[in-house]
Amino acid sequence: MSILARKLLRTIKNTKGQFLAVVSVVALGITVFIGMTTAYYNLDRSKENFYQQNNFADYYFQVIRAPEQVTRQIQQIPGVIKATGRIQKDVPLLKDNEERATARLISFPLPMEREVNRLHLLEGRVFEKNPGQGRVEVLVDPQFAQANHLDFNDQIYIGAEGKRVPLTVVGTATSPEFVYPIKDAATLLPDPENFAIVMIPLNQMQQVFNQSGEINQVVINLSPGADEDAVKKQVETILEPYGNLASFPQEQQLSHAVLQAELDGLKAMSQFLPALFLAIAASIQFIMLGRIVKTQRLQIGIMKAVGYGSQQILFHYTGYALSVGIIGAVIGTILGILLATVASSAYALYFNLPETIGGVNIEAVVYGFLLSLGVSVLAGLIGCRGVLAIHPAESMRPEPPKGSGKILLERWSWLWKRLDPTWKMSLRTIGRNKVRFGVVLLGIIFAVGLLVVSFFMNDSIDYMLTQHYQEEQRYNYMIRFTSPVSEYELLNISRLDGVVQTEAIFELPVRIHFHGRDEEDLIVGLPQNVTLRQLTGDEGENIFLPEEGVLIGENLATKLGIEVGDVIRVETILGLGPTRWADVKVAGINRQLIGGGSFMEITQVNRLLREHLLASGAMLKIDPGKRGEIEKALNEMTAISSMLSREKELDNFVKNLDSMIYFVGIMVFFAVTLGFAIVYNSAVVSFGERKRELASLRVVGFSLKEVSALLWKEYFFQAFMGIIFGMPFGYLMALSMLKALNTDLYSLPLVIYPATYAFSAIGGAVFIAAALIFTMRSARDLDLVDVLKDRD
Amino acid sequence: MEKVLIELNRVTKTYQMGEVTVEALKETSLKIYQGELLVILGPSGSGKSTMLNILGGMDRPTSGKVLFDGEEISDAPESRLTRYRRNELGFVFQFYNLITDLTARENVELAANLVEDPLPLEDVLKDVGLDSRQEHFPSQMSGGEQQRVSIARAAVKKPRLLLCDEPTGALDFQTGKLILSLLLKINQERGSTVVIVTHNTAIGAMARRIIRMSSGRIAEITENPHPLSPERIDW
Repeated sequence: MSILARKLLRTIKNTKGQFLAVVSVVALGITVFIGMTTAYYNLDRSKENFYQQNNFADYYFQVIRAPEQVTRQIQQIPGVIKATGRIQKDVPLLKDNEERATARLISFPLPMEREVNRLHLLEGRVFEKNPGQGRVEVLVDPQFAQANHLDFNDQIYIGAEGKRVPLTVVGTATSPEFVYPIKDAATLLPDPENFAIVMIPLNQMQQVFNQSGEINQVVINLSPGADEDAVKKQVETILEPYGNLASFPQEQQLSHAVLQAELDGLKAMSQFLPALFLAIAASIQFIMLGRIVKTQRLQIGIMKAVGYGSQQILFHYTGYALSVGIIGAVIGTILGILLATVASSAYALYFNLPETIGGVNIEAVVYGFLLSLGVSVLAGLIGCRGVLAIHPAESMRPEPPKGSGKILLERWSWLWKRLDPTWKMSLRTIGRNKVRFGVVLLGIIFAVGLLVVSFFMNDSIDYMLTQHYQEEQRYNYMIRFTSPVSEYELLNISRLDGVVQTEAIFELPVRIHFHGRDEEDLIVGLPQNVTLRQLTGDEGENIFLPEEGVLIGENLATKLGIEVGDVIRVETILGLGPTRWADVKVAGINRQLIGGGSFMEITQVNRLLREHLLASGAMLKIDPGKRGEIEKALNEMTAISSMLSREKELDNFVKNLDSMIYFVGIMVFFAVTLGFAIVYNSAVVSFGERKRELASLRVVGFSLKEVSALLWKEYFFQAFMGIIFGMPFGYLMALSMLKALNTDLYSLPLVIYPATYAFSAIGGAVFIAAALIFTMRSARDLDLVDVLKDRD
Repeated sequence: MEKVLIELNRVTKTYQMGEVTVEALKETSLKIYQGELLVILGPSGSGKSTMLNILGGMDRPTSGKVLFDGEEISDAPESRLTRYRRNELGFVFQFYNLITDLTARENVELAANLVEDPLPLEDVLKDVGLDSRQEHFPSQMSGGEQQRVSIARAAVKKPRLLLCDEPTGALDFQTGKLILSLLLKINQERGSTVVIVTHNTAIGAMARRIIRMSSGRIAEITENPHPLSPERIDW
C-alpha cells in the first residue's frame, strides 16, 4: 500500500463518526435510486411484456347490443390489426352468506389465440366452450378466489335475467385489463371479497343472457403509427346504429390507469429522493474536507516541501470523498437490490402480473455507481481546493488568527448591546461561516420538509375519507336496481323495519358536448330536499342542489373549459330506450375527491329521459341496531343489483391503509438520517475548529454544560430557521408530489394537519438535538492541559 | 506566620505514555502563601507544567493531596473543580487563548459574567491600558495587547490565585516586561496570589520566593529578600 493510501486510511479512521454519517447518506441515496429504478424497470417491463403477449386493447368501444359480425367490418378499417367482440356485464353475485357482491362478467371467444385482450391462465385449466350437462365453466381473478376460499370445480351463483345461474370455477386467470381489479373509479381499492372478475366463453355468455350472436363491446388493437382519432371516428360510425355508449383509449382503462399512475409516481420518486440525498451528501463532504485540509495544513506543507505536487495531494484528499462514494455505492447497491426485491414482491401482491420480472438491473447499478462517485469526487475536489493555496514555508508558521469582523446584526446596536457575550460569540461564528451555515440550514430545511412529506399523505387521505364518507355521504347503504323503477316502489324499502330514511337517486350515464368536444359523465339525480348526500363546491364549501340546471363536476369542467352559466349539450347513453339530447344550463361546479359526476334535481333527470318519477337506486339511512335484518331483507330483493355499505367501503379503505405505516416509517428514517448526518458532521467540524477556545473556557471556569451551551447556541438559529422554513418547504414538496400522483381516478387534496407540522418540527428538533448530543460527547474529552501546550 | 492559600502534600503524578510510565511529579510538597508572588523555574520536562495543572484543578495527582484554603480539592468531583476554577482562579496562558469571535471587552465580559461580584469592566481594561482598544478583535491586536486582554480576563474575576504559564513566552523583551509589571500590580493592588511558571530564570528576580524544578522534584527553594521591579530585570 502506498504511503498516501495508508495516510488516507488513518484520516478515515480518525474521523470515523463523520465518515460513517456521510457514507450512510450516500448509501441511502443510492439504495433509493437503485431500488426504485429497478422496481420501476421491472414493473414496467412486466407490464409491457404482459400487454404485448396478451394483445392488450388499444381502444374500447361500448354499445348497447350489436351483431357479432360488426367486428369483421371494424377489422377492415385501415390501422386496425384486430378487433374482438365480446360481452361485458356487471351482475349480482349471490353469495352463501346472503351478502350482495358484484361479478363483472366478461366473455372471451374460443379459440383465443389471436384475439385482443387474451387471458393468461394462472391456475387450473381454461374453460371449455361446451362442457355439456348444462354446465357453464368460468375463470375468476385470483384475489377473488383466494378471498372467498374457492377451489376448482366450486360453484358460484349469479343473478342473470331474473334467474339464479350456477357457474363452475375451473381456474384463475388474469389479463392486461385486470392487472388491478377494481370495480370503478370511485372504489379506488380492490375489494376481492365482494367484487369478482368472471371470465366466461362468449357462446355461454350469449346463452345465459339470451343474446345469441350479439356483443356489447368491441376491443381493438391498432397497428403501430395508426391514427388513433381517425380510427376511433370510423369505428364509432360503424357502431352508431347499435347505440354507441362509450369509447375510450387504453390510457383511460381503469386497471391500466392505476398501474401507470404507480409507475409514474415510482419514476418521480426514484429521481427526486436520490437527488436530494446525494446533494446533501455532497454538501457534507464539502464542509468536512475543507476542514480536514485546514487541520492538516502543516502536513500538507511538509508533503509539498518533500516534493509531492499539489495535484497529487489534491487527489489524495479527494480520495477521502472517493472512498465515501465507493463504500456508499456498494452498500447502496446491496440494499437497493434488496429494496427492489421487496418492492417487486409487494407489487406482485397488488397487481395481477403473471410474470413479475425480478433481478438486478445492471443499468441502474452502473448509473448508481457513476452518480455516487461523480458527486463525491466533485464535492471532494471543491472541498479540498484549499490544498492548492497552501505554501510549504507558510504552513510551518502558526496560522494567523482568523480575521474576525463585525457582523450585520451589530448595526442593530440596541439589540446587540443587550446580548450576552456567549450569544455574540455564536452569532459571529455564524457570520464568519456563512457558507457552512447556509448548507446546514438547507440540510435541515430538506430534512424537516421530508418529515412533513412523510406524514402528510396520512392527513390527505384521512381528509379525503372524512370528506367523502362522513361529510358527503350520509347514508348507510346505496342500493342500485337492475333497471329503473318507479319511485313509488321505494315504499317497499322505506317500510322495512329499521329504515329511517330513503331517498331516490337516478344515475344517468351521459356524454357532455361543449364547444365541439365531448366527455363521458354520470349525472346523478337527487331529490330537491336531499339530506343523505351533501354536495361540495369547488372551494370545499357546502352547496345545495339547484332547482334548474346541473352542478357539473370540477374535473370535467376543467377538461372541457365549462364555466358557471354555460349551456352544455347532454346526450344520454343509458343503454335502455332511445338516446335523448338536451341543452342544460350549468348552475354550479361541484368537487368530489373520490370519483366524479355531476348532479341535478331528479325530476329534471327524468325529464331528460322524457320519463316521470323513475329511480335507478336509493340511499338508505337505517337504525344501526337493525342492520342484520335490513341487509337480509334487501338481499332477498331480486330487483336490487348492488348494495354498497358506506361503513364497509370505509373499512376496506382503512384496512388497505395499514401498509402506509411502512411508507411513513421509511420516509421518517430517511429524513432523520439526513438531518442527523448533516448537523452531526457540521457540529463536529465547528467543535474541532474551536476545541482550543472551548478548552480555554473550561480553564477559565466554564462548566461542561456552559461550554456545550455555546455550541447549542450556534445551532439554535439553524435549527430554528431550518424548522420554520422546513415546514412550508415540506408543503411545496407535498404539492409537487401530489401533482405527480394525481390521476383522473382521484384527486388527493393537499391537506396537512397542524399535528403533522408539529410532529415534523419535533422530529427536526430531535435529530438536531441528537446530533449535538453526539458531538458533545467529545466535549467531555476536552483536554484542558492541552490549552497550555504549544499550538500544533 | 503567613496564611497558606494552597498546599501540595506529597503529590505524585504519573502518566502512561504508551508502554512507558512517566513520573512527571515525584512526592512533591509545597505551600503557597496568601498574597505572595511566586516564580516556578525549570527547563521543559522538569514537572513545572504538571504542577501548574494540578494547582489549577485541571489535572489530578496520582497520589498525595492538594488543599486549597484548607479544603482538599485533589479528590473533589469535576463540578467542584469547575467551581474552584471559576471562583478562585485566574489563568494567563502563553498563547493568550482569547476567543477570536469576541472583542477585547467582550472577552473580559465573558469571564466577568461567571462570578457574582466582578470588578467593573472599565476599571480592569483601564488597568491593563486597553481602554482605547476595547472594541478590537484579537486578530486586530498585537501579542502584547492580546496578553493584556488575557490578564484583564483573569483579573476581572478578582481571583485569589492567579496562575501564569510562560506569560511572556511569546512576547518580545519590552512587552514581556510590561506584562510582568501588570502581574505585579495585580499582586500588590488587588492582593491576588500570583504564581508565574517560566523557564526564563531572569524573571525569578521579581519574586520573593523562587522554586527551581528538576526531574519532577523541587530542586531548590530560594528566598529573595530584595525582589527587583520588572523594569529592572534583563534577559
